[in-house]
This record gives sequence, C-alpha cells and structure tokens, in this order.
Amino acid sequence: MVKIIGLVGSNSDHSTNRMLLQFMQRHFADQAKINLLEIKDLPVFNKPEDKKIPEEVQIMAEKIEAADGVVISTPEYDHSVPAALLNALHWLSYGIHPFVDKPVMITGASYGRLGTSRAQAHLRQVLEAPELKARVMPGSGFLLSYSLQAFDEGNNLKDREEVKKLEKMFTDFLSFVEICKQLNKAYAMNKKEVENFS
Amino acid sequence: MKIVGIVGSNAEVSYNRQLLKFIKNHFHSLFELDLVEIKDVPMFNQSNDQTYSEPVQRIHRKITNADGVIIATPEHNYTVPAALKSLIEWLSYKIHSLENKPVMIVGASYFNQGTSRAQVHLRQILNAPGVNGIVMPGNEFLLGNAKEAFDENGNLKDQGTVEFLKSCLEKFIRFINVVSVLEDKPAALLEDLHATGTIETTVEGVDMYAEDWLEQAAEKVNAVEGNTYVKLDRGLLTVDQINDFLRSMPMELTFVDSNNQFLYYNRTLPAEEMLASRTPGQVGNPLAKCHPEKVHKSVEWVIQQLRSGKTDSVRVHVPTHGPDKFVVHTYKAMYDQDGNYAGVNEYVLDLKPVIDWYLQQTGQKLVGNPDAVSGASVKGSSEGADTVSGASVKA
Ligand SMILES: Cc1cc2nc3c(=O)[nH]c(=O)nc-3n(C[C@H](O)[C@H](O)[C@@H](O)COP(=O)(O)O)c2cc1C
Ligand SMILES: Cc1cc2nc3c(=O)[nH]c(=O)nc-3n(C[C@H](O)[C@H](O)[C@H](O)COP(=O)(O)O)c2cc1C
Repeated sequence: MVKIIGLVGSNSDHSTNRMLLQFMQRHFADQAKINLLEIKDLPVFNKPEDKKIPEEVQIMAEKIEAADGVVISTPEYDHSVPAALLNALHWLSYGIHPFVDKPVMITGASYGRLGTSRAQAHLRQVLEAPELKARVMPGSGFLLSYSLQAFDEGNNLKDREEVKKLEKMFTDFLSFVEICKQLNKAYAMNKKEVENFS
Repeated sequence: MKIVGIVGSNAEVSYNRQLLKFIKNHFHSLFELDLVEIKDVPMFNQSNDQTYSEPVQRIHRKITNADGVIIATPEHNYTVPAALKSLIEWLSYKIHSLENKPVMIVGASYFNQGTSRAQVHLRQILNAPGVNGIVMPGNEFLLGNAKEAFDENGNLKDQGTVEFLKSCLEKFIRFINVVSVLEDKPAALLEDLHATGTIETTVEGVDMYAEDWLEQAAEKVNAVEGNTYVKLDRGLLTVDQINDFLRSMPMELTFVDSNNQFLYYNRTLPAEEMLASRTPGQVGNPLAKCHPEKVHKSVEWVIQQLRSGKTDSVRVHVPTHGPDKFVVHTYKAMYDQDGNYAGVNEYVLDLKPVIDWYLQQTGQKLVGNPDAVSGASVKGSSEGADTVSGASVKA
C-alpha cells in the first residue's frame, strides 16, 4: 500500500490539525497507510556551524525519504506558517534533503473563517525553496475553517460536504504520487544540485 | 529618537547582526539604536505559554518604550527564520507589542536576491491583525552577497549602498513622525491627579482623603500583616521582614499607582526630618492632595513622560537643602508583567555621603564650575524644586 507521512504542523497539545490528520488516517485506511510525524520538542534551529542535526530530525528525515508522499497540515499564525513548522523545515533542509521531488499535499485547519489560506500560500512557496524542492500538488489545498467546531464527539469531520471534498483531493493526491513516480529522470540531478547549493 | 533593532538571526555569526551594528555606529546622529537578540526566546507553543518569561518580556518592554523598530531578517527557505517568527508569535498572542509601532524591514543574505521573499512574508506577517505593526511602505533594503559586503572593521564597503541605506533610514524617521500624527495622540493628555478613575487594584468604597485610609482599606481587603509569609519574585519574606527591608533602604521610597493614588512610603523618619516630607495620613491620597496646586502642572508633566514611555525616569536635583546635601529625586516608571505602565517609584536620596566617601577613597576632588548658571531644575514635582539656583559641581 502507498506509504504517506502526515506531518502535524502544530506543536500544540490539542491540535485540530493533528485531529484532521488522524481523521484522514482512519478515513483513508483502505487507500493508504498514513503515519503521523510530530514537530514538537525539536530544538530551535540556529544554523550550527558543525551542521550537526539532532537525532530526532535524522529519524524524521529517514521516514520522509521512505514515504511515497507527505501531507502537511498547517495552522495559521499571524497570516503565515507557525514558527514550529518552519523550524522543522529548516532542520529538514540543513545538509539533508528528504523533501527533494517528494509529492506533498497541503491541508490546514484554523479557528477562523479563512482556514489557513494565507499560511498555505506561504507554505507552498517555502516548499519550493532550493533546499526543500518538494513537488507540491497544484491547485488549492484543503482548508478547514472554524476548526474548533468541525469535529464530532467521535473526532470525525461533521460536515459531509467537507468530507467529500477531502476524499476527492486525497484521491487526486494518490494519482499525483503515481505521476510523480514517472517524473524520475532528473531526480539524481536535482538531489545533487541541492546538495551543492550552500 | 529611540529605535529598537531586532537581530532576526540566532546564529553565532550573523550578517544581519553586523548590518544592525553598522547602522547603530554609522548613523548614531540620526537616532539611538538598541540591538535586541532573539536567541534566548523559546519556541512559540500555544500549550506552553511563556509570554511572561524574561526573554519575551525584556523585548516587549524595549519595543513598548521605543519610537520605532527595525527588523533585520535573514532568509531561510524563501521565508523568515523560525526563531524570528517565534518571537513575533509571542509578541502577538497575549500581548501586542508591535501594535501601531512603526517598523522598517531590512535583510542580509548570502545570495543575490538577498531576502526579498522573506521581506515580503515578514511584511504580511506584521500586517496580520494580532501583530498590527505599521510597516514602512516601499524602501526594501536588501543586502545580497552579505559575506562580501563588509570590510574587516565591520563597515559596509560599497559607498552607494551606504548612501541608499542612509536615505531609507531618513525616510523611516519621517515615517515615524507621520505615524505619530496619524495615531492621533492628543498632544497633552491631562493627568487625572484626583485619581477619580479606578484600576484593578483600587480599593473602592474607602475615602481616599481619610486620615485612616490605610486602616480602613486594609480591613476591607483583609490585608495580611506581621509574620504572614508573602511569596515574591523572587523570595519568601514575612510582611515584617518586607517592612524591615524597605525601611533599611538608604533612600526615601514612594509608590504612586497608575491611577495617581499615593499608596505607600517607607516610613524611616518623622515627616519633618525627611528630605521630602510625607505624613502617615497622606497614604491613600490622590496626588492632587499631596502637592500644592501651583506644582500640579509639573507633576502632570513628569507623569506624562513616564506614562507615555518617552522616558522611564525623570530626575530632579533639589538644592534647597543647602550645600551639605546633594539631594536627587528620581521618578522612575514602574511596569507590570505585561509591560504596562504601573505607576511611579519616587526615590529621594542625599548622594553626598556616598560621593564624599568615594572621593576620599580615590583621592579625587570636586571642583566648582565658575560658569555654572542658575540651574533652575526642570519641571520637577517636588515643591520648591524649581525655585532655586544650584551651583553645579564637576568632578
Ligand atoms: C535552512 C536554510 C535555508 C536557507 N534558505 C535561503 C533562501 O531561501 N534564500 C536565501 O537568500 N538564503 C538562504 N539561506 C542562507 C541565508 O541567506 C543565510 O544563512 C542567512 O541566514 C544569513 O543571515 P545571518 O548571517 O544574519 O544569519 C538559507 C540558510 C539556511 C540555513
Ligand atoms: C500567535 C497566533 C496567531 C494566530 N493567527 C491566526 C491567523 O492569522 N489566522 C487564523 O486563521 N488563525 C490564527 N490563529 C488561530 C489559529 O487558527 C489556531 O491557533 C491554529 O490554527 C489551530 O491549529 P491547531 O489546532 O492545529 O493548533 C492564531 C493563533 C496564534 C496562537
């Protein structure tokens, strides 16, 4: 089965983004094996001279390398990506490059009405930076607004329309993962370029 | 003009730090730049609120008291570094330090495009509702190829770049002035010396003018006293110990809250022997009652300076005690944990014994200055402080 990583973009104990990924994990269990990765408790990135990567980051990188695709679910803080998620992405592009050519789907949950649209736009740009170079699925990502009210007691998404939208997008994402597999001629070159970047 | 410069990099060696240092040194005639480091700021976490931690509060306070902020940002993965974003998140969560603050963005990075993308993101972040800074439009100062940009003394090598930077900074100063007009701060906010308002800590229902306000108010709030322990930042003392401690301070201390109510003084001496006399019955009075009408304007002025954050202390020397005393009144602004103005700590002391002792120890001498003019001391609140001339002394 397709192996997908669900990257929880929040370090909060009660994260609606985590809930969204957990819902996807259950809901799409017969289509993909989704494993969640947490960004909590990573040290603050400070560009260490010795380029030493913390062990937990190394383990994250290996899991991402081994996956067929990554779903990143981001909150929105101050109209942008939360520091904690940026922090994880800094580490995951510092001398290691697990995201190169990796298919990525962006989702996001926020308390407000716009459901992370601005954070998602920033995240998309970030993932295109030379040392991440992921393949972000085109089109808009999945936006969950008013996320505190979006789940029922069984932690499932209440709104059937939203669920249908998510199903379509995720099915598209699995096709995107397949297509990306064929776009593999330049992979070695891309990887090399990134490694020589800085 | 006081500007805070935030070093947006937490790296040991940082070109953004170097850029701000250059601005500080090279343009000191334009403004005073206070550099702020972010490396001790914890990662923002909604479930672990550290708004009131020392590193966040220190920065909050500096920004609150500054006329404007310059942020120097690196670019990591086409956006601002996590460490800088984390600081902004803290400053926009429970507190809103950057609200209505004029902000200028600069940035240094290793590559050609030099932080252009990070600057666009930072601008959007600063415009988000919780942050609400007022970012100077246009004028991106981008320093690309930062590794080659400075000489061995830390100065920018390229004269054209220095000129451009100068023009951006001058515009920023004009921008700050425009913003202060836009913000529509009434030019001379009147201070309510009669303390007719209330703040959270005001004891209501007790006559502020009463001689026994203290006894009444203490009863009303069930105030502790004697050998009851009080937990402090940082320490544990009984009320008696706190009193002993404050009485032992080599100065007269007075506490006036942000509502202009006189709440406390450390009663070391009878009123007539004090440098600035206070009587037990005055405690609880509004400031208007503590000062004669004719100095109210001066009192208002001092409190306005402190409340508005223009300065955090006002000093007045009071020569009326004669040549054998060097009496200085300092009005120091107090801030609560949120960095909000919390009142005035007035401390009064005679510096002469310390200065005499010091001169004796070091063999130095005070020399009279023949040019000394009547130093009618500035707008002080202390009665009479503005009436006499003081021969200034030079070491
Ligand atoms: C993880 C990472 C990502 C980076 N991405 C970019 C980038 O997208 N654009 C850029 O101009 N520089 C990038 N750089 C290099 C920065 O320009 C450089 O490290 C910057 O931090 C210099 O500022 P400083 O000396 O004040 O820390 C990146 C550096 C790191 C460590
Ligand atoms: C510092 C801070 C800034 C925020 N800014 C925004 C914002 O700009 N837009 C928005 O929709 N929600 C904003 N929020 C609320 C978020 O929607 C909410 O905290 C988060 O996205 C929920 O994600 P989580 O449940 O996975 O932690 C902000 C929250 C914090 C703590």
